[in-house]
Amino acid sequence: MTLWPLALITFKEGIRNKALYGITLIALMLFGATALIATMIPREVGKVSIDMALSTISFTGLLLVFFVGINLMAKDLDKRTIYTVLSRPISRSQYIFGKFLGMALLIIVTMSALSLMAMSAIVLLKATHAEYFGRFSWSLITLAILFNILMLILLSAISFFFASFTTSSFITLVLTIITYIIGQSISSVKALVESSPQEIGITVSPVTLKMVKAAYYLFPNLSLFDIKLQAAHALTVPSSFVMWTIVYGLVYIALAITLAALIFRKKEFP
Amino acid sequence: MRMLASVIVLILAGLLHITSLDKASDSYKMLPQDTDQSFVLPSALIKIAALEFRGLASDVYFLNSMVFIGATQQRKETPRVKEWEWQWLLTVLDTATDLDPYFFDPYYYANAFLPWDAGMVKETNLLLAKGSRHRDWDWMLPFFIGFNKFYFLKNDSEAAEFLMEASRRPGGDPMLASIAARLAYRENRTETAIYFLEQTAKNTEDRNIKERFETRIRALRSILFLESAVAEFKKKYGKIPISIEALVNKNLISQLPRDPYGGTYYLAEGGKVRSTASSELEPYLSPVQKKIRQ
Repeated sequence: MTLWPLALITFKEGIRNKALYGITLIALMLFGATALIATMIPREVGKVSIDMALSTISFTGLLLVFFVGINLMAKDLDKRTIYTVLSRPISRSQYIFGKFLGMALLIIVTMSALSLMAMSAIVLLKATHAEYFGRFSWSLITLAILFNILMLILLSAISFFFASFTTSSFITLVLTIITYIIGQSISSVKALVESSPQEIGITVSPVTLKMVKAAYYLFPNLSLFDIKLQAAHALTVPSSFVMWTIVYGLVYIALAITLAALIFRKKEFP
Repeated sequence: MRMLASVIVLILAGLLHITSLDKASDSYKMLPQDTDQSFVLPSALIKIAALEFRGLASDVYFLNSMVFIGATQQRKETPRVKEWEWQWLLTVLDTATDLDPYFFDPYYYANAFLPWDAGMVKETNLLLAKGSRHRDWDWMLPFFIGFNKFYFLKNDSEAAEFLMEASRRPGGDPMLASIAARLAYRENRTETAIYFLEQTAKNTEDRNIKERFETRIRALRSILFLESAVAEFKKKYGKIPISIEALVNKNLISQLPRDPYGGTYYLAEGGKVRSTASSELEPYLSPVQKKIRQ
């Protein structure tokens, strides 16, 4: 397996990144805020603490993908170390796959550590406010975190795709952030323009409607991976939804990363 | 020497920092402010803008409404809360529950303030109906709707339906079904109201809201007490007393109970007991509501 050493190096490089300290600090502060704000809620302390803890995980995960992940990919290109890497007996596609594997590993490990922190915040609040945790399910919280990790890996795959043809990491960052925003909102936007937008004073032209529909199939539907609300209220999540969402996520990741490898093979370095 | 100079500069800058911050934030208050809070973005747009943080956005909107209610408790002017502010509160709570329709607290807050103080009974019931639809395991929301229908709208048959619904849900007191039955026969409204409010107060932890309910229960108990005295008077003398004082004069009661809202009780037409602080009591209308009726 030629991918593994490269993946491991990428992972170690990511773990050593100073930005990770900042991200951990932000996460700790947000978990503190979770405890503070949840106790201000008169009744549904449980819902709010799960909401906030899961949102913190999502948010810090995004910071990880945007500011550590994209840098990992870009550093080789910016610092021209790509020449040394490619002079080794490793193909360009293997380079992309190995890097991506390392990044996925970094996301999984960091997110697991953050989840432990989030869960201890929830455990703490549950111990002190037991009577407000009526509907509660650890398995749904875990599932929400797993979905979130899958979403982050997908987003990271997309950033690899953008990095394969852009010339600067800043452009990759901007494109990835735009994709994230579109991906999270596209299904709501589609629902809005297809239903009755005139009710809230918006008119939609047929062109816009077509564009939204095109975007719906082109961009990843990231809102599928968001089941924070269901986890917070311990609502039932059908197993078919879980299965198909995982399949969708894996297929999209495979598509994005294969395309990235294909483009990267043809890329000319300055 | 140089060290000393930099320490002095630092101390002076520190002092200047504190004064400048105070002065700036004081004069900031004099800036013309955007006072029209009544506009809240439509929830369909907020849903899109909130990305995957919808639940969080809902929490923030709810916290906003809590801060608003807390701030109005300090106000001295009358009416303490303006009509457009109630409208704003309703919109904010509606938005919070659009973002997360399973979130109980916004419904709870809406029910504790809007029907009582703003006279927004129908609007509150619409909001509660959204909650009851989503939280189909929660008996309290149909209970609130039923209470509002009985207490404010005087629609006993519809109230009874919602109470039956509440009694069928897990945790719903089986007694609810018997109130529903009582409503169907239009028996003793005051007693039923007391029972309703006791149920609500029992499930309230917020001290502020609990006190509001307990005051109302005390007022209703006094009314119940006077009503039964009037009934006794009627039985004894075959007619309704001319004034409430007649009850004391004929030794049916030793003294008139105190109205917790600061009014005095009197007899209205048909022998009904009312208070001069009627804005808070039977006929259960707040000033705003009265204005709307007019």
